[in-house]
Amino acid sequence: MSIWPEEHVATAHHGEGFDTVDMTINVGPQHPATHGVFRMVLTVDGEMVVDCEPYIGYLHRGLEKLSEANDYRQAMGYWDRTDYLAGLVCEQAYCMAVEKMGNIEVPERAEYIRVIMSELSRINSHFMFLGAFGADVGSFGTSFIYAWRERERIYDLLEEVAGDRMFPTYVRPGGVAMDLPENFEARCRWVLSSVYQGLEDLDGLLTGNEIFVERCSGLSPVSPETAIKWGLTGPMIRATGLPWDIRKAEPYSIYDRIKFEIPTGKQGDVLDRFIVRLAEMYQSAKIIEQCLDQIPGGLVLNPKLPRNLRIDNGECYVRVEGTKGEYGVYGLARGGNKAYRMKLRSPSFCNLSALREMVVGNYVADAIIILGSLDIVLGEVDK
Amino acid sequence: MTNENPAPAEAAAPAFPGIAAAIHAALPGVPMTARETSTDVDIRVAPGDLPAVVEALKDREELAFDYLRNMVGLDMQEAGLEVKYHFYSFKHGHSLQVTVPTPPGNPHVPSLTPYYPAANWHEREAAEMVGLVFDGHPNLKNLLLEEDLRIHPLLKAHPLQAIEIVQGIEEGKPGFEF
Repeated sequence: MSIWPEEHVATAHHGEGFDTVDMTINVGPQHPATHGVFRMVLTVDGEMVVDCEPYIGYLHRGLEKLSEANDYRQAMGYWDRTDYLAGLVCEQAYCMAVEKMGNIEVPERAEYIRVIMSELSRINSHFMFLGAFGADVGSFGTSFIYAWRERERIYDLLEEVAGDRMFPTYVRPGGVAMDLPENFEARCRWVLSSVYQGLEDLDGLLTGNEIFVERCSGLSPVSPETAIKWGLTGPMIRATGLPWDIRKAEPYSIYDRIKFEIPTGKQGDVLDRFIVRLAEMYQSAKIIEQCLDQIPGGLVLNPKLPRNLRIDNGECYVRVEGTKGEYGVYGLARGGNKAYRMKLRSPSFCNLSALREMVVGNYVADAIIILGSLDIVLGEVDK
Repeated sequence: MTNENPAPAEAAAPAFPGIAAAIHAALPGVPMTARETSTDVDIRVAPGDLPAVVEALKDREELAFDYLRNMVGLDMQEAGLEVKYHFYSFKHGHSLQVTVPTPPGNPHVPSLTPYYPAANWHEREAAEMVGLVFDGHPNLKNLLLEEDLRIHPLLKAHPLQAIEIVQGIEEGKPGFEF
């Protein structure tokens, strides 16, 4: 005799009226596939996801409140902890916001150094994505280690320049903290050549793998209209085929003097997101090479700035092309040496808000890959 | 910084600079003021007028603001709470900041989720951080803070607290000054 009530026993001949019960699966917050401390509650019908509710905030450190409580230079240290894979991009955005509010000039050499460091960080962050995403899809270990080899070399270079690997607090309002070391150009070109090699290796390992391509292509395609509606930015929107990059659309710093292309995808599926990021890394390397050719001499920090930076009145919304998308900093100054309000528009946060729409209707195993393809950084999501 | 057209130079400070002139022309009945921040044109409208303004921003051919890029909730102390929206148009490449001040003690703003689904999480964040209420939002739960926590940390009156005091491990005066 079955232990189940009669009507719930599945038999081969009455599949039609067979009703299923939705089940709830909790993923995270401590789970390797969530890339940090992130929790999502999936409601599944068999293997299909019918609902998904993300829960964030486990890493909330009160960045915005701390930026109001500390003065402009003190608060800077908190900002590279947002996107901790590419801290220098965040530092640049924060310092640009302070400079906009206070009308502070930045020496040209400092702008070039900032761009070089930002693009190195971008390569670094995308390497992390390639490695971790390969691990999500199933090439555990191999892609991770391949990516790590180049990442370590870039981190070494960042340490030589800025004194720290991940959180250098190197960019300052009005420039950067110190000049490049003497042998920087040769070292940087050597690192770039090794980056090209690493990219080729990873490209061959993953894009050249039929199982990987089969697994990712056609998964959760997103149209450009949907992407705009949900506020997806960065590689996510470029994968849909819309060539929108803030470095081109609203050029800041010295990006208007640099020649580079915007790689785009075709249908915005998981494979396109992967390929767009891969292609972007080549472009970043090209940008760095051009910067090394063009970089002028001179000061790296505005010497006229007072020790205690005071801004009387200012409001701005500065946006830069972060590694995950539009990294925006809203700043409001109303006198004194502290900001009245700083607000971070974090790209991972906005990309993640569309997770439910992308995941519903796919298999549970695909949900993990879709989450991986968003390339979220929880430090940035949770502020 | 932005690639929007700078205001024409003949008037020292036009009442409606840049894109604000087109918005003012499109919405003659809506009282609004405009100015420029360091990066964008800013228009200021009342909470009651927000749906009409947003509909015009989204649907008008010459405006076509299809992307809500950012939202900020602010505590302006005695002036009440404020919301700032940042819009961008993929079609024209221009951007805009909309400021919506709410009167003190009545922090109600219509939700923009029917027009921009991207507003969903932004509004949840602004609601928990400064205590704004977005009328018509489908799910105004806490997002970054604990679900049952009813504090608004980004209010200026909210003190910066030592975590041990918040958690009840240590006794002490709530809040400290830097």
